[in-house]
Amino acid sequence: MALLEINNLEAFYGMAQSLHGISLNIEEGSIVGIIGSNGAGKSTLMDSIMGLVNTKGSIKLEGEELTGKKSADVVKLGVGYAPERAHLFPYMSVYDNLLVGGITAKEDIDKNLSMVLDLFPNLIDRKNQETGTQSGGERQMVSVGRALMTSPRLLLVDEPTIGLSPKVCLDIARALRKLNEETGLTILITEQNVNFAMSLASHIHVFETGELRLSGPTDELRSNPELAKAYFGH
Amino acid sequence: MTQVLIQGLMLSGLYALIAVGFTLIFSVGRVLNLAYGAYLMLGAYVYYYLVQSLHMPKIAGMVLAIAVGALAGWLKYKLLVKRLNGDAVAIEISTLILAVVLQSGVVLIFNDSSKILLPIVNGITRFDGVTITHNLLTASIMSWLILGGLLYFIRYTHMGRAIQAVSMDTKGAQISGVDTEQVNQLTWMISGALGAIAGVFFASYTQLSPSMWVTPLIIAVAVVIVGGIGSIVGSLIVAHIIGFMEISVSTFIGAELRGVFTMLLIIGVLVIMPKGLFGREEL
Repeated sequence: MALLEINNLEAFYGMAQSLHGISLNIEEGSIVGIIGSNGAGKSTLMDSIMGLVNTKGSIKLEGEELTGKKSADVVKLGVGYAPERAHLFPYMSVYDNLLVGGITAKEDIDKNLSMVLDLFPNLIDRKNQETGTQSGGERQMVSVGRALMTSPRLLLVDEPTIGLSPKVCLDIARALRKLNEETGLTILITEQNVNFAMSLASHIHVFETGELRLSGPTDELRSNPELAKAYFGH
Repeated sequence: MTQVLIQGLMLSGLYALIAVGFTLIFSVGRVLNLAYGAYLMLGAYVYYYLVQSLHMPKIAGMVLAIAVGALAGWLKYKLLVKRLNGDAVAIEISTLILAVVLQSGVVLIFNDSSKILLPIVNGITRFDGVTITHNLLTASIMSWLILGGLLYFIRYTHMGRAIQAVSMDTKGAQISGVDTEQVNQLTWMISGALGAIAGVFFASYTQLSPSMWVTPLIIAVAVVIVGGIGSIVGSLIVAHIIGFMEISVSTFIGAELRGVFTMLLIIGVLVIMPKGLFGREEL
């Protein structure tokens, strides 16, 4: 059984429908990429899994239905989320931001904190700094760290490289790969940066205007002419 | 000068207690709770009824007044604020109407005449020629203990951090596993409880009347506007500025002008620093 099973998912912002009949599975222990341009529905998919938008259809985590649940309950069931633009608490320190992430996994706080600081050593010296005064890269690290503090079985990372320098993108890619290899954590990542997504993910889904256009193993899609034309210009 | 210092310090503690519950609600729910003064009135009348009419012990009266305040805050959130679903104008108008309805209820039960709330603690002390009533001294000490406890709770406990998180980024809090509904309910209950305690102290410092909710509301609005709406620490500092200013005006100029300077301060800050002296919309 896949860790995450999405069947015929539709998502709505008020009257506007943003996702149309999305069905896909995420296997345990994998890194899966969702790519697509602005408005393709990538972030909506993440928000749908987290219970932040109205949906129809089914989203199951290890057979347990997530649709209709509050975000806090989805987190408790084992889904961590590092959203686009981080959504940190700007007047709280890095340390306190991470501790908020530990609210649903209090017994794991020390272990998770040590894992996060090991993964992102830059944060050690900055743990008392307010996140509102940090660089984009540091905020992204805190965002991923906060999601890891929830002791997730599935980590959702929404556009982690947006507005970041290539060096920071590499640091984040390295951290996510290390997490997956060393802990077996399943990661679902959305990206407009196709190269970044393909460098990490073993399987790619391509979204376009709220629909799933293309799916397959990364190596196969790399040579797909439709994808090459759309994203690599040849 | 000693009189200004001592009385200013004592009055400021009370003003800080009055303002902090109002600040809390704005920070978390982005709601100007214009019925906040009604919590004070409710708390004071419950205490008066239990202690001076039913002759219950003062501590029992205080505990029950706090419980009623917390219940009123919770009910207001569940029955009104949540249903209005973030419509700030509708919430502000309806909370103001609710305060007037509660005032009418108090008139119906207790009539509209003012009443004396006996001091919670009797006695006076003289220090350097200044008369200090034990009642205001107790109110001031209790205010500081409560405010200290609240700040500790907000800064150093999981639930306190959750309240801060919701006040800064609701979506961020939700995806961190914070139950925002639970946080909202708790915040409205804490605000109601703080208002009820402040009401008992305020009424014992002034008097009990059905319109007693207006002055504390003005104080709360003044403190949070001047301090920066949403900042608890800013509110505490400004409560002292206003408390000392009112005592200074009463002592050196005239008691009838004490409120006027507070109003001028609000207008001045709104014109020069619209976000307040410590303005940022968080705890």
